[in-house]
Amino acid sequence: MAQLAGAATVDRLHDEIRGVRYREATSTFCRLVTEEKRSIRDTIKDAIAAAAPYVQVPSHMMRLPNGEMRGVNYDHTILGWRGAISLMRELEGTKAVLPSVQAMWYVPQGLNVWEQVVCEFPGHYARDAEQCNRKFPGPDDHHDRFDGPAWNPPRIYFEDHPPIEGGSVDDRLARMTWAIAEGDKAEAYGLFLGLAKDPEHRSRLKDSILFAGIIDLQDTIINRGGYQNIGHKALRARALVDIADYLGWDQSHELIYTVVPDLGCSPRLYGLWSEISNICRMEIPGNAAIPKRSDKPLTERELDDLTEALLWGGPFDVNAAVMALFKRGAGILDVGDAVMVCFQKYLIDVLENPHAFLHPTHALDYLNVVLAWVRDYDNPHQVKAVFMAARFMNDAIRSNAMFPRDPAYTLEPRKAYRAWADGIAVDRLLPVIEEQALAQDAPRACALVDSYLARTTERQALLETITYAACHWQNDPHVMRNCASSLEEYRHNRTSRRDDIIRGYVKHQSRYIKRALAHDCYGVYAEHFRPANA
Amino acid sequence: MTLQSHTLNDHWRLRNAAAASLAESEQDMRRAIRGASVDELVALIDTFSPARSSGPEWTRTFEPLVERLWAWCDETTMAALAETYRARGMPWMAVAKALSPEQGARAKADLRHPAWARLPALSIA
Repeated sequence: MAQLAGAATVDRLHDEIRGVRYREATSTFCRLVTEEKRSIRDTIKDAIAAAAPYVQVPSHMMRLPNGEMRGVNYDHTILGWRGAISLMRELEGTKAVLPSVQAMWYVPQGLNVWEQVVCEFPGHYARDAEQCNRKFPGPDDHHDRFDGPAWNPPRIYFEDHPPIEGGSVDDRLARMTWAIAEGDKAEAYGLFLGLAKDPEHRSRLKDSILFAGIIDLQDTIINRGGYQNIGHKALRARALVDIADYLGWDQSHELIYTVVPDLGCSPRLYGLWSEISNICRMEIPGNAAIPKRSDKPLTERELDDLTEALLWGGPFDVNAAVMALFKRGAGILDVGDAVMVCFQKYLIDVLENPHAFLHPTHALDYLNVVLAWVRDYDNPHQVKAVFMAARFMNDAIRSNAMFPRDPAYTLEPRKAYRAWADGIAVDRLLPVIEEQALAQDAPRACALVDSYLARTTERQALLETITYAACHWQNDPHVMRNCASSLEEYRHNRTSRRDDIIRGYVKHQSRYIKRALAHDCYGVYAEHFRPANA
Repeated sequence: MTLQSHTLNDHWRLRNAAAASLAESEQDMRRAIRGASVDELVALIDTFSPARSSGPEWTRTFEPLVERLWAWCDETTMAALAETYRARGMPWMAVAKALSPEQGARAKADLRHPAWARLPALSIA
């Protein structure tokens, strides 16, 4: 504990983040809250501010020496915070802090992504995916130097800019969305900063930035390598809106600096948006007037047909299935909720390989952004966004299906453990579910959840149990983000099959590949916040 | 629910005709696989590479093909196929594992069928 000597200060937190000293930064974060009584809100703002200059990349495509291109990962630090903030209201007592501690643990590891992929800066991409220490080992055989600390200061690829003001709000919003589409990061960022100052127009600004993120989506990831964004523009826009609402917009300059410039970063992909816009113009000319909810939700037969199209059909089957629902009078959220529950069938019954969850669950998170946008804002393009999400899900499923199945990842059927699960008293099930989720035993965890769902109408404690277990795993903000998406969609879903979201959720969280099997971050959290079961 | 003017008898007759066609095509495939050389089988399996596949609908038939290979090929052929893909390294590891003897024992055990069935319990898609 020698490194903890001295007071926990915000300056120290900044230094530790910039220096990629993630263990120390996490301890300082916890001590700021527990010893210095700094609010979680202010401490999260401090951490976002420290990282903000170092999360931009010049492009999400990198030219290789041989002339080919590779993808450069998107910043995930802000996605961890969005998940953590959302989960605060889902977990009781000190458990509510664990996702924030996980987000903090990740932040120093997620800076300077461009330098990480070329092995010039430490972090989780350099250490894990790129295996940089094998290519460029340091003097100490027992230390992976790409685990940190940093030997160089992190690099700034996009300097902060002043706000752009003046002109009508309509004009500035139109200029901002066009600047994002054209890749003019400075103009988009400056206009956003200027518009964000005025609370009167904030709802329109939030709607515009979500729209800009949602329409930027690849038409396929099949054999595309890095030429995709798997929904990251939308995910970032949602993170911005949610975190700014939490921090207060007048406290969100660094947050805006973190997110908005990247929305204009290359590649910007509008092929799918163009296709869906054309289809809707031709086939559903009145789509802008389709209500959010109708009195004609989907029948069981329609849910089955949509499931078939999403999981086993191709893009034109999905177009036909979704279009038929809108044409017969279903509302935007009727269809969106249906897409969410139909997709769960893939998680529940089809996915086995832990490595294969990543892209489909990005599509789930993208649909969550779309549905939240539909619920909270009025925009004439919302039908198209639900369409795009359905296509993204189908494409991610098809992309996985391009690889012959690996029999090594075959799962035992969950029904094999149902009798065992049914033999456990219902008031004893939750600790066993937590235990099996932490053991990453998907068949048992899923059988337990099936049994629980069949034997009680209680759901809140079940969701909290799965979420808390999921948040034990470190180094991966996808976990918190997917927890937030699943819980939010479960709460809002109005289909007869909404419990399938819980079934898909527990399968994902008990099977998806883990970036680290250790629970060091949980240990830091437990040391400082002393949860009841630690 | 039946189509207008179709009796259940008609539906069942249509289904039986499809089953007979499928059974004939399975016999045809069995003869073709049994007569194929290792090189010809490798050429077929190679079409399941993501770079060569005509799409997910094709790749999803990989496991049905492997079931049939285990049902219809001799052990020497299967060993030669497994070695070919094992030698290609990581990108083909899933295929090599599907052709391993352990996986073969599992596949053969799963292909048991009721006494009245004409074909083993092969997957369709």
